[in-house]
Amino acid sequence: VPELGPDRLAAYLAIAGALFVCGVLAVVVRRNAIGVLIGIELILNAAALQFAAYGRFRASAADPQGQTAAVFVIVTAAAEAAVALALLFAVYRTAKDVDLEQTRELRS
Amino acid sequence: MIESGLFLGCALLAVVGALGAAVVRNLFHAALLLGMCLLGTAGLYLFLETPYLACVQVIVYVGGILVLILFATLFSADVLGASQRPRRALWIAAVSATLLAAVVAWRLAAVGVQQGVDLAAQRSAPGTAPDAIGGADGTVGDLLLGAWLVPFLVAGLLLTVALVGAVATVRRFRYTAEVSRA
Repeated sequence: VPELGPDRLAAYLAIAGALFVCGVLAVVVRRNAIGVLIGIELILNAAALQFAAYGRFRASAADPQGQTAAVFVIVTAAAEAAVALALLFAVYRTAKDVDLEQTRELRS
Repeated sequence: MIESGLFLGCALLAVVGALGAAVVRNLFHAALLLGMCLLGTAGLYLFLETPYLACVQVIVYVGGILVLILFATLFSADVLGASQRPRRALWIAAVSATLLAAVVAWRLAAVGVQQGVDLAAQRSAPGTAPDAIGGADGTVGDLLLGAWLVPFLVAGLLLTVALVGAVATVRRFRYTAEVSRA
């Protein structure tokens, strides 16, 4: 069992793995589109944490490649949230709910 | 001692928040737990000596995305989560999530044994002390306008397309009404 602490890469990888599994669980289990959206945000958050951890431990602190990649992941998450909200609004306008089991079409 | 305690606190905040966001029935509570998870991750970024990322995390994730999600919970007729998936689907999800966690843990153990780099040793090496933005000689901004220039521009394009696409999806265009009437 690897030693876990703030100075160990494995600790960050374990946390990111847990976040990723929780995100996948939310995407699979949730019936509501907002729950699925929360799951996707968790997955992207885990990815950004992985980038930052590997950038810190595999490269050096002087070379912020991992940080920059993490910033791009966060930007992608922001764009995804905006588009997802627009889609939710479109679905809500036709169906008056965002239940993924009931939703069949975007146009009324 | 204090450092490892704070690290444990941040890690617990992140993991418990994520687990809660995944399984809590009330969607509003799930969104708030997601915020807890994001704040814990911001603390972890501080431990990785990337304060810039911690700031971006709080501003973009907690200040932007979380507010969007809280707003989106208003669209749901079933915020309290009365109708969840049937029990059989939950069993399948639990089994597959356990399998996924096992695979992640297995890979993690291999990586942890191979590459347990000691950060304290790296930190004490000369000339590697990071400045406030996180890089000792190359900052994130230099990288964005240098080696990462093309991805930077593509990210700008992506944001523009996402904004225009979001507005176009939400807006009702007049001509569609005329076409459907004709």
